[in-house]
Amino acid sequence: MNLTRLKNRAIARAITRFPQLAGLFIKAGKNGTEERSPDIPWTPVSKPLSECTVALVTTGGIHHRGQEPFDMDDPDGDPSFRVLDSCTPREDLTVTHDYYDHSDADRDINIVYPVERLKELEAAGVIGRVSDVHLGFMGHITGPHVRTLTEWTAPEAAGLLRDAGADVALLVPG
Amino acid sequence: MGLIQRAIELEGIPTIGISIVREYTEEAAPPRSIHLKWPFGHPLGEPFNRDQHHAVLARAFEALYGLIEPGRIVDIPFRWRKETYPEFGETM
Repeated sequence: MNLTRLKNRAIARAITRFPQLAGLFIKAGKNGTEERSPDIPWTPVSKPLSECTVALVTTGGIHHRGQEPFDMDDPDGDPSFRVLDSCTPREDLTVTHDYYDHSDADRDINIVYPVERLKELEAAGVIGRVSDVHLGFMGHITGPHVRTLTEWTAPEAAGLLRDAGADVALLVPG
Repeated sequence: MGLIQRAIELEGIPTIGISIVREYTEEAAPPRSIHLKWPFGHPLGEPFNRDQHHAVLARAFEALYGLIEPGRIVDIPFRWRKETYPEFGETM
């Protein structure tokens, strides 16, 4: 592991332990504002939650062990995503993300990817069903990768969710 | 995360996001969010605190159905490690 990755992990641990330090890094990590549009997209919810198929989208760097890990050597992050299968056992999931301290998430993935909680809500009849397909991104996308994300990978991911029959998406950060 | 959320909403799927850093969410301007003033890496809370996770999910789904104005961020007043959460089954 190179020095930059070690440094990023040390910062992530410090911020989790002392959240007041986060402000020092928030401004530095800001995306460019040129991507921001005054028009916020809006799709009204059209049916009751008890009839909705719910999909998760995590930016916590979660992926299956057999999938290619997110690229931690590119300082602008990795704008690609991984398709997550809700039937996979918890042991098959792992986290590749140096920009937050995921030691608690490594113990219980539900704090960043609450797929087991959604299954409980499905069993209780609160939601219709848990989507078979969820999506894993890594977040911490800056520089030229912001455009890759907004113009390519995020629309592609959205199309996959639509094709999978998702009625609602819950987005969870790292 | 907000930029991904916008793309999904644009595809015709209603979205709700959990925000930990309010500044990021304000800047990316996703359609609907709840915000928790909790440490990074813990959007649903502490490991194995199932009732806490369900309380957050309940607030998220409430916001999904309750918000009618694009871009709103609902601040959830849960204090880190200082709350008692109802047992799952009583939260919804």
